[in-house]
Amino acid sequence: MENPDISNNTMVLVENLDVVFGNKHIVHDVSFSVEEGEIIGMFGISGAGKTTIIRVLTCQIEKKNWNGNVLVTGLSPSKRGNHSKILSNIGYVPQLELLNLYFELDPIVNVEIFTSTYGMDKKKAIITAEKLFNILDIPKDTWKKRVKRMSGGEKKRLSMAIGLIHHPKVLFLDEPTTGVDASKRYDILSYLKKLNQQLNTTMFIITHDLEAALICDKSAILREGKLLEFDTPQNLINSLPSRGLVARISIENLNQEIIKTIQKYPSIEKVLRVGNETIEVLMEDFEDNLPKLMKFLFENELKVYSMSRDVANFRRYFQIRIQEEEEKENRKNRSELMNEGDSP
Amino acid sequence: MLPDPIDCVVVSYDSNTFIEENNFTESNRDDYNLKYVEAVNSSKLLNLVQFFNATEEIYAMETARSYMVSKRIKIIIAIPVDFSELIIWGYPGLIDCITDSSDIQKIQVNINAVYDSIKIFVSQNNLTPQFELNGFEEFTIPENYSSGYNNTIVLVLSFMIIGVGMVSTILIIVQEKPIARLLLTPVKRMEILLAKYITYISILIVQNISLVMTALSFGLYLVGTVFDLFLALFILGFAGLAIGIFISTLSKTKTQANQLFFATFLVLILLSGIFIPIEAMPIYLQAIAYVLPLSHGSPLITGIITKGKSVFGFDFFSLLGVSVVLVVLSFILFQRRKYEV
Repeated sequence: MENPDISNNTMVLVENLDVVFGNKHIVHDVSFSVEEGEIIGMFGISGAGKTTIIRVLTCQIEKKNWNGNVLVTGLSPSKRGNHSKILSNIGYVPQLELLNLYFELDPIVNVEIFTSTYGMDKKKAIITAEKLFNILDIPKDTWKKRVKRMSGGEKKRLSMAIGLIHHPKVLFLDEPTTGVDASKRYDILSYLKKLNQQLNTTMFIITHDLEAALICDKSAILREGKLLEFDTPQNLINSLPSRGLVARISIENLNQEIIKTIQKYPSIEKVLRVGNETIEVLMEDFEDNLPKLMKFLFENELKVYSMSRDVANFRRYFQIRIQEEEEKENRKNRSELMNEGDSP
Repeated sequence: MLPDPIDCVVVSYDSNTFIEENNFTESNRDDYNLKYVEAVNSSKLLNLVQFFNATEEIYAMETARSYMVSKRIKIIIAIPVDFSELIIWGYPGLIDCITDSSDIQKIQVNINAVYDSIKIFVSQNNLTPQFELNGFEEFTIPENYSSGYNNTIVLVLSFMIIGVGMVSTILIIVQEKPIARLLLTPVKRMEILLAKYITYISILIVQNISLVMTALSFGLYLVGTVFDLFLALFILGFAGLAIGIFISTLSKTKTQANQLFFATFLVLILLSGIFIPIEAMPIYLQAIAYVLPLSHGSPLITGIITKGKSVFGFDFFSLLGVSVVLVVLSFILFQRRKYEV
């Protein structure tokens, strides 16, 4: 059933999604929407429910296991009759290339296999493939070689090309930078951005890699099946005290006692240990409070090596947000235990 | 315990009339052929399926032979023209015995059963035990062909075609990782499995053509048609494919598929009836053996090669039935198989 409330540009709509397997409540009341051409990053530690949400969106989970209003390219995966259309409208790039590629065949044959499943014309498919291969810088001399002879990065890019071969409206990518060495991770992300800009494909990335937020228009943070945040990475960072301004301070013999001492300073919002002897401090009225904080440190006879100021990145925001949630949960658990202790 | 009686027919050429040589009068003294039939009926080793009086039924032997081709009987006992006269005049009696030689192991068993009937005949009629049993082997390989090759090729073709079919397919589902990803395209599960069947059937056809051509070029004595042999090998190979794909859809891992293959192949061989006669197995094993494809493969191919039988018989339809059941089961299992990417 078409939803009249959503715009024509809404590619994915999720409202009050709950996923339950037996006694396990995997996803709790998740809602968000994705507009055409956006890149969405879904971040969370293992078990957060990222993959489960993607599986609902890609028709892999039966309706009996989930509740809520879900539309993918305007169609609901709750109806089996819609599955074929939804799967025609979406592309999928799995985490492992071996799930997406026949290693014993060459890239062109791989393309032909997947395009045949969409009923595409073979010649047109080859033209599209060549275009994608060129955007993704897959060397021409590898097009007719077996996939197993390609490098890890080339396989990754070929896998992306196959995900996009049928011009999907939404491309789902599962951990696109996992297993790629650090130097290539940024290449992969920049290729995704390039594809998004050139083809205007909506992209939905699920990842542990917080660097992926660099190319995301919106980021979703999940923890234990709950959607904590869904906004642009910049808005999320701006929501931090002093719009994410941090003081990075290195202190001699940094230990838990010293951190507790620093936390006593009145304007301090957050103290994060980011290295052996380095902390990052977030506080209200950063500009006013920073000199006062330094004075406080000297008064407490703490030997400061260095101090610099910076703006928090998405990684830091994620760390703070998850930590907040954990603290909230710990407080809740403690109060529950205390209540149980008080009760006769 | 006595073995099951062997099905046979008696074709009598003994003339109905007897001309007395002294006075040329005609009398009905040719009754020893009927007495012999009574002896056959009394034998616990033989089961008389039909008695033909060839002096009245001119196509008696052709009919009896067709029974043998269709495996209804194993022995044709022919009573010669002057059977009664020879016995009356005190000459040794003559019996012709035509046994199915397509199963080499059973030729002697068949002859022994006929000897048993002669023993009973002699004893019941107080005759001198002077009888000659002329054995003829039906469906033997002509001298200019190698009977060793012909007999071996039946086993080789049966094992090879079913084995290759199984080996080539046991891993096609369990090992192919991109199937999970293919299921995230509009393609249906049924279409994926159907495509596998079509591909492997095409390979099987090419394989069968080359096997038949090779077997013939090496000097196979073939009474039946090449098409029948091809179809027999095809249905046997198809049963192999069906078992292989069934194992592949049933298994969760490659190791499990390999182990299931070895276990299944061992059972197929042991209960094929090639090494241990199916009749000698306990009833419950016989029931299993008759369901398994290899127990039908060897008689089917032998029937075509040595007897010229048509492929479309009990064995063919048994193989077809088993294969269809396995194909249906593999589709059900594949439909229920859990895939996640």
